[in-house]
Amino acid sequence: MAMLPDLSENLSNEERTWEEIMQIKAMPVSMMQKKEMKAKLQTATKLRLQGFEQLKWQRRKVWQQMKSRWKETYSKLELWRHSLKKIEGNFGTGVVAYFLFIKWLMFLNLFIFLFILLFIILPTLVLVPQESPANTTLVEECSRNYFNLSVDSSFLDWVQGTGNMERTIMFYGYYTHKLISEDGNMHSYYNLPLAYIAIAVIYLLGSLAVMVKSAAQGFKERLVEGEGQFYQYCNLVFGGWDFCIHNEKSASMKHKALYNEMKACLEAERLEEERQNRSRDEMLKLMIMRCIINLIVLMVLSGALALIYYTFYFSQERLNKELLNPNTELEYLYKFILEFLPSIIIVCLNLLVPNMFAYLVSFERYSPLFIVRITLLRTVLLRLASLIMLMFSLKDIIICDEPDSCSCEDHPKCWETYVGQQVYKLVILDFVTHVLITFTFNWPRMLIAKYSKSKVAKFIGEQEFELPKHVLDVVYSQTLCWLGSFYAPVLPLLAMLECCLLFHIKKFACLVNSRPSSTVYRASRSNSLFMVVLLISFIVAVLPVAFAIAEIPPSKSCGPFRGHLTTWSVVVESFDQLPAWIKSIMFFFGTAGFAVPIFVVLVLCLYYFYAVSAANKQMVMVLKNQLVLEGHDKQFLLNRLSAFIKQQHEHQKVMRQVEMTNLDLSNAS
Amino acid sequence: MGQGKSQFTEEELQDYQDLTYFTKKEVLYAHQKFKALAPEKVGHNKNAKLPMAKILQYPELRVNPFGDRICCIFSSSHDGDCTFEDFLDMMSVFSDGAPKAVKAEHAFRIFDFDGDDMLGVTDLRQVIDRLTGQQHLSEQDMQHLIQNILDEADLDDDGALSFAEFEHIISKSSDFAK
Repeated sequence: MAMLPDLSENLSNEERTWEEIMQIKAMPVSMMQKKEMKAKLQTATKLRLQGFEQLKWQRRKVWQQMKSRWKETYSKLELWRHSLKKIEGNFGTGVVAYFLFIKWLMFLNLFIFLFILLFIILPTLVLVPQESPANTTLVEECSRNYFNLSVDSSFLDWVQGTGNMERTIMFYGYYTHKLISEDGNMHSYYNLPLAYIAIAVIYLLGSLAVMVKSAAQGFKERLVEGEGQFYQYCNLVFGGWDFCIHNEKSASMKHKALYNEMKACLEAERLEEERQNRSRDEMLKLMIMRCIINLIVLMVLSGALALIYYTFYFSQERLNKELLNPNTELEYLYKFILEFLPSIIIVCLNLLVPNMFAYLVSFERYSPLFIVRITLLRTVLLRLASLIMLMFSLKDIIICDEPDSCSCEDHPKCWETYVGQQVYKLVILDFVTHVLITFTFNWPRMLIAKYSKSKVAKFIGEQEFELPKHVLDVVYSQTLCWLGSFYAPVLPLLAMLECCLLFHIKKFACLVNSRPSSTVYRASRSNSLFMVVLLISFIVAVLPVAFAIAEIPPSKSCGPFRGHLTTWSVVVESFDQLPAWIKSIMFFFGTAGFAVPIFVVLVLCLYYFYAVSAANKQMVMVLKNQLVLEGHDKQFLLNRLSAFIKQQHEHQKVMRQVEMTNLDLSNAS
Repeated sequence: MGQGKSQFTEEELQDYQDLTYFTKKEVLYAHQKFKALAPEKVGHNKNAKLPMAKILQYPELRVNPFGDRICCIFSSSHDGDCTFEDFLDMMSVFSDGAPKAVKAEHAFRIFDFDGDDMLGVTDLRQVIDRLTGQQHLSEQDMQHLIQNILDEADLDDDGALSFAEFEHIISKSSDFAK
């Protein structure tokens, strides 16, 4: 018996029809044709789906709908959408990437603070510490002395973090070193010291993970772009125009920027050629010049660092010896200035030295791209080095170990709070500096340039929104946040507020004070640049904290780690309390028997991936050559074809002529 | 204003939503913008055909150096005058929802001034000229630049960029989003 023919072979079912309808929008035809196509597809005979297939398809449709609705509501909720669109319209997507970066940092700080709030601050406020035993230890005595100290408070305490503010949740010193629970009788308890250090490790690792993920994305894109060839000119010409620009002035600036970039690229190529052809004498002279400039830069950096160190010592000395009890107004003012002196010096250096670097780099005659990078690198070095120097100078004050008394002579009783206060002062000063410079220095400059016609005024007043400098500002404030969060747990909240306000301040600086920049900033390159700078700063910020956690003994009068040998020993002690089998597993991970094979395996994996990527590169070269050959083949065949056709024409013409002559001959005869 | 919604039937909105990268709300928003260009004409016929001059008054198109090319490509009558449906098509392709491949395809057509399905030297020359606006590159610079582009992108060495080569570059570029 023959099988009945399957009439449903060529008919498509509902699901496929729906998919085809969804694909119509990608076709480059007019709307009317699209509507016709959709109508045709919908009225064509199609099979209904049965049972399970039907359910699957319905679910898919619903999921698509939900996705599109979610995207719609999400874009409405996007923070600061209107401002970002305005900046985009005036300055292009490169600058918008910067503001998105600020927004990203703000959310990062928000999450860090939520962690801290949930696991450290709330338990401290809500739960009650364990009752202290009757016999007092040194730690108990010191703590009591510290907390009962009377302090004179002035309104300046808000800014300096001293006085009444010192003993609040703002700083490390407030947190208890005991276990806490609901009512003090330890049925179920919450180990605050362990939580404190665990949360710190978690948010630092979390920040690192998020940054590495973001940087890796940008890195991957760069790698894909530069796979043997970097499409510099094509990207410039085909991707150069920003289709979001919507006013005349920005458009003309964009034209100018594109023109400048094209000229710069061509110029760079010419310079490259020149560089290849440089004579030996010139090379030697240039090398010497570059060495000298680098030496000068190093000298300037070390001079700056020495200045910070001595300023710190000077102010400490004065504060401790002479101004313990200020009496007159003048002495108050003097004390206030001395407290802030190191921070002021750092801020001044951050303002002046980069300009010096920018002037020096012009002697080195690098290519323009390299100039931007190396100036950025040097400025980053300056900022981070000044922070490290401050930490270093603090070290001498902090480290002191006298087992019998609460703290050393002339040293602060609670050094962690002291460090927290220093960072807090830096943060406040940094923020105030931004506000001052944007509103009282740059804004009048802009007004001068706008309303006066003289050339001098225009020279002073016209500013451009230089992206690298503003990026460094934001990265610096984030570095301070990471540096100080362990010692002042409320700092991420401040950093978040600062990011929020900084967004609006920078928006003002961008839209009102400056005109569009004459260099083209590309969004993708900018993003990876921001992340790399942020990563470097993160590593530099975490190192002092890690060192302090591992090496420096905590102060005996305050904080969650009083009485322990080092901060890290809390973790070690808790680890000792784990059951034996977990401990043996952990120990196994640390032994050489485990580490060496893992290391060998990782190296082999690395080599394998490297070999695969090398093979792929080779493949790309081969395929490219093949394409060229095929193009030549095509050209050759086309030539042959046209030659052949021409030959045929000639042949036919000759044949026709022969026929005509034959006809004539036969007519004549 | 409920007037916007009452101009379209539910079925038409569903059609537009299926055939573009917009949701129904965005379609209505686009119609509002379209109406703002010529209120009375669009008020009478919601799919009215507006002349190119009127379309080019839309802010982003006015300052765009390729504004007239964009209108020509999307116009169903190929003379630059656009109906609302053409306008919707245009906005849909330029929106965030459209994938890179679709944008690449339309960009190729926009850059192809002589319509021969290849980006030849004359096409590239016109593109660069329009991009630099008031300033003009010298002849030598222009030739140098075109040569560089062809060196980078022309894989089969035939002196012009075919669509496949253009798409290859765009897929590698991460800036070509807007």
